[in-house]
This record gives sequence, structure tokens and C-alpha cells, in this order.
Amino acid sequence: MSATVVSRGIVSRQAIARNGSTLSYVLRGAKPCRNHTRLASTQAAEDHTPGEPQTKPMTTLTEAQRRFLDSALRVNQAGELAATLIYTAQTPPVVKAHPHLQPLMKHMYDQEAGHFKTFNELLAKHRIRPTAMYPVWQAAATLLGWTTGMMGKEAAMACTEAVETEIGNHYNSQVRELFKWMTELKERGEELDPELAVLIEDVKRIRDEELEHLDHAVEHDAKQAQPYEPLTKVIQYGCKAAIWTSERV
Amino acid sequence: MSLSLSLRALPRSSSACSHIASVQVCRRTYYSIHHPDPPPFPPVQATILASAIQHVPRLGFTQAAVTAGAQSTGYLEASTLLFPRGPFDLIRYHLVTERLALKDRVQFPADSKLGLTEKVKKLVVARLIANKDIIGHWQGALGHMSLLENIPASLAELGNLADEIWYLAGDKSVDFSWYTKRAQLSAVYASSETFMTTDQSPGFRDTEEFVERRLGDAKTVGGAAGGFTDYVGWWAGNGLGLARAWGMKV
Repeated sequence: MSATVVSRGIVSRQAIARNGSTLSYVLRGAKPCRNHTRLASTQAAEDHTPGEPQTKPMTTLTEAQRRFLDSALRVNQAGELAATLIYTAQTPPVVKAHPHLQPLMKHMYDQEAGHFKTFNELLAKHRIRPTAMYPVWQAAATLLGWTTGMMGKEAAMACTEAVETEIGNHYNSQVRELFKWMTELKERGEELDPELAVLIEDVKRIRDEELEHLDHAVEHDAKQAQPYEPLTKVIQYGCKAAIWTSERV
Repeated sequence: MSLSLSLRALPRSSSACSHIASVQVCRRTYYSIHHPDPPPFPPVQATILASAIQHVPRLGFTQAAVTAGAQSTGYLEASTLLFPRGPFDLIRYHLVTERLALKDRVQFPADSKLGLTEKVKKLVVARLIANKDIIGHWQGALGHMSLLENIPASLAELGNLADEIWYLAGDKSVDFSWYTKRAQLSAVYASSETFMTTDQSPGFRDTEEFVERRLGDAKTVGGAAGGFTDYVGWWAGNGLGLARAWGMKV
């Protein structure tokens, strides 16, 4: 069983790597679409009377960049949804057995709930479709949280360790991509629009908080979980597969 | 000369748009006030179609209207080759431009007391009313839209309209109800649009009432979908309670 899961995970990792390279290739070679001439802006210009000050767009996102943001924010929302549900399901069994962990669990949950709220707002603002797998992730995350919670404190912490490792990497790759855009724009003497500047800071902050959870998990005996290797591997490959899926549907 | 230019301006492969049997189906991606959405049609096509749409009340959604549009904008008659689907390209132009015009036609003040359903109703009715000048030709248009090769593009545009209406109404839900809401509104809109083609009442009052009734029905169904999630959650909780009562350590 775990073998099939693992092998599927490897396939999806290769797919991610493949996709990552084509995506960055597209971004590097991206040109504005041929048929996407600036009719909208000329219309907007017509709407403005000449005397009125007109806000100029600072940058023009290419179609590929738009699609990157579209799928990146969708995955982030799905991830934070899963995170809140994992902690919600883990907390009762873990806290029952180890009451002193209550503040830590609450702290981690509260941060995840904050992240979830951030991405919900971003999705609504930028008119991004949530993942169609929403109910599936809800069920899977609750099940994962509950199972690891029932397996004991160590397994719960190992679950956190595995998930946050994946999520940390995932956010890191996003920060790298956005940072690349920013440096490219600076070279051309343009400026990133304020929303994207805030987005980079948000993703960085959220990544740091996720990595902080990773440290908490390791401090609280995540490595003592039995069986450590299969458990964390299955969860990690599961995360990768979920990220891959949510980027697409 | 103008023809060769226009042919060169024909849409090539574009990343956000897929060509389903030569008709462009665009899906919305990241939206931001700092980055205006690309225009839905290339400039030459837009010019010809904008003129052609003026001829629709007289000529209907026909090849003749497209040709008249090309002629009155000074293009050769052969430039109608830009529109391999003829009438359907014109219909799609109507659908897209009326959808994009909705945000200027209906605006809610920030302190509006209207509920979400009220706003959606206003938007749906406003969009339907935009069909009033061509309502006599709309049944034929619906016929074109339901041709097998046009169905993907028609459905995509219906979905875009539903998305636009929920957005303009200020709906912020980004959970699974995002999908159910759009599906329901699409169904309501499609049936109201069909109803309107036979509506003889002054000012299309019957259509408005029809929309209101259908939205009321949809609300009930939406409530049922949410109720189902609660139901599953309730049984899961009960199952756990029962297991504990049997002495399981859960």
C-alpha cells in the first residue's frame, strides 16, 4: 500500500520538476499575447476626461505570470485549509493525553487560521477559483489529523514536521519566483505593483511561521514517532500530490 | 491591404485562451486593479463586430449583419473570413460585451442595504434587459448557441457571466460553494433568458418575476447542499460519541 503511494509520489515529484522548468521557461521567454493588444487600456483612456489624472499601471503581468499567481494562490489556500483542519482534528486527542501541549497547539492553530484568512481574502479579491478538490481535502486533512492525533503526540508532531517541510519548500519556491520577477523589473527600472509587494512579504512571513512550527514539532519528539520513516514519507508524498493536483483543478 | 493586415491580426495560440474548434474560450486568471484584463477581441475583429451588432435589430444574428458591419467600417467583404463562424462570432461578441458592460450598468453604493440575493437579481435582470433590442432574434441566437460545435464556447461564456454577477454582487465565498453558486446561477440565467424570448408583458415584468422565483428555488437548493455537509459532520461526531460509549479510546 505504502509502496504504491510512494511510487505515485515520485511520479508526481518528477512532474512537478518538469512542470517547474517549463513554467520558468515560459516566464523567461514570455511575451505579451499577440491578440492581447491594449484595447482595455485605450477604452479606459477614453473613459477618462483629459483633465482627470489617470493612474498608470506600474507593471504589466504576462499571461504566464497571471497563471502562476492564479495557481499559486489556489494551492496556498488549499494548503492552509488542510492545515487548520489537521490541527483542529489533532488537538483534542493530543491535548487529552498531554494537557501541557494545549498552548502550543492553540498557537499553531491560530497562526494557520490567520494564514487561511489571508489567502481567502486574496482569492476573493483576485477572483481566483478555489480548488475543485475542496471537499476532498477537507475530508483527507481531517482524517490525517485525527489518525496521527490518535497515534500519539509523537506521530502528531511527525505529521506536523512532514507537512511543514513540504509547505516550507513550496512557499520557498514561490518566494524565489516572485523575487525573480521583482529583480527583473528593477533591472528594467519598473516597480512591482503594491499588491504584489505585499504578497511577497505575506508569503515570506507565512513561510517563516510554518518553519517555526517545524521547529516546535522537532522539539516535541517528532523524531521519536513510530514508525517514523514510513509515516513522514507517506505524508510528504501525499502533500506533494495534493499540491500538484490543486495547482491544476 | 487591410485584409492581409487583419488576417495577420488573427488570434494565434494564446496562453489564457484555448481554441475549441476555432472559437476562443478564455478563462479568467489572476485579476487585479493594477493589471487591466486583456481585451476580449483583437482590434480589427472588435471594430467590425461592433459595427455589425448595430445591424442586428434589422438583419438578425446573420452573416448578412457581419458583412454589413465589415462594409460600414470600410473593410473588404472578404474580411468576414475573420469570422469563420459568422453568426456565432457575432452572438459571442454580444454576450461578451454585454457581460463586460454590466459593471457600468449596475452599481451598488458601498453602504447598500440590499442582500446578496437582491443584488444578484438586479444584475440578472439588468443583463436580460440588455437583450431587449434584439429579443426578436434571440431565439435564433439560442439555436446557434446550442449547436454541438458552439456548446463549449456558449457554456464557458455562461459560466463567465455567472462569475461576473457573483463578483459584482460582492460575494466573497471561496469554498466549494463557489462552484455550486455559479452552477445554480447559470441554470437560473439560462432558463430566464429562454423565458424572456416569449415574454409579451410590458417592460418584461413577467421575466423579472420569473427570475425572482427561480432565484428563490436556487436558494433552497443551496441551503440543502450546505445542510448536507452539516449532516455528514453531525453523524461523524455521533459516531465518535458512540465509539467512546462502547469504551473505545477515541
